[in-house]
Amino acid sequence: MSLFSALSVSASGMAAQRTRAELLTENLANAETTRTPEGGPYRRKDAVFVTTPSQSEFRSIFASHLDTKPQGVAVSEVVVDPRDPVMRYLPGHPDANPDGYVGFPRINPAEDMVDLMSTSRNYQANVSAISAVKDMIQKSLDILQ
Amino acid sequence: MQRPNPGDAPRIWRHAETNCLIPLKPEKAASVHFIPAMLDPLSSNLERYMDLLSARQKLVASNIANADTPGYKTRDIDFQAEFRNAMDARQPHIAQVSGLKTKNDGNNVNIDRESRLLAENDIRFSIATSLLRSRLKTLRSAIQEGRT
Repeated sequence: MSLFSALSVSASGMAAQRTRAELLTENLANAETTRTPEGGPYRRKDAVFVTTPSQSEFRSIFASHLDTKPQGVAVSEVVVDPRDPVMRYLPGHPDANPDGYVGFPRINPAEDMVDLMSTSRNYQANVSAISAVKDMIQKSLDILQ
Repeated sequence: MQRPNPGDAPRIWRHAETNCLIPLKPEKAASVHFIPAMLDPLSSNLERYMDLLSARQKLVASNIANADTPGYKTRDIDFQAEFRNAMDARQPHIAQVSGLKTKNDGNNVNIDRESRLLAENDIRFSIATSLLRSRLKTLRSAIQEGRT
């Protein structure tokens, strides 16, 4: 029974949280963006998580022996906010429509900041898990000293 | 290792803890823990204990990684019961944990519970390795005839 798969599980959690943090900071950075390659204002993005079997290189070999299949996490998809943009009356703006309204992204900075905090805490929890497991591996190496 | 003659039928193995002879079906033989001749039953129990702790630590890491996954349910093993079955060397049975509050997205991972288990497993593992190390130290001392 190997502790190393616990490391890859925690690493998958860190990677997933990092992806989510990147999307959230992208949302905050683009809170006022009115032009995108797809056309129209920027739309809020968020990550959807899904459990996956842990990605250990020895997984295929041990899969038949280990009943304690640890489950990692992965980003299954990035969802784009389908809501309509917020219309603001700015007649002088180059992206204004004929009525003088400009579509701005429907982004609530408070919402993104709170999600970012939660992401950061979850990332920290995964880091703690890694250091605890690393400690256990180190101690089992110390048995023979 | 106390191994029988290969041709014996039924094959007889020495039980690791009680040291009594037990007949075994060959297919089951590979799944039983044996004590190397140099170590005592306590050491093999410690080994099993550490195995269980690492299995549990993996589940805790998995629960923490999935703290934000919709619909994910906390998984754990019944540590005491699994340890009592230690000599079977079966894979521990994983069950969902009852009595946890389920959030709106169907996830019921409680980070506080997982942090506690993370620290607890770490400390228990540390105790087990210290004990095993002291057994090995005694053994080494005997090999070296008491000289340091």
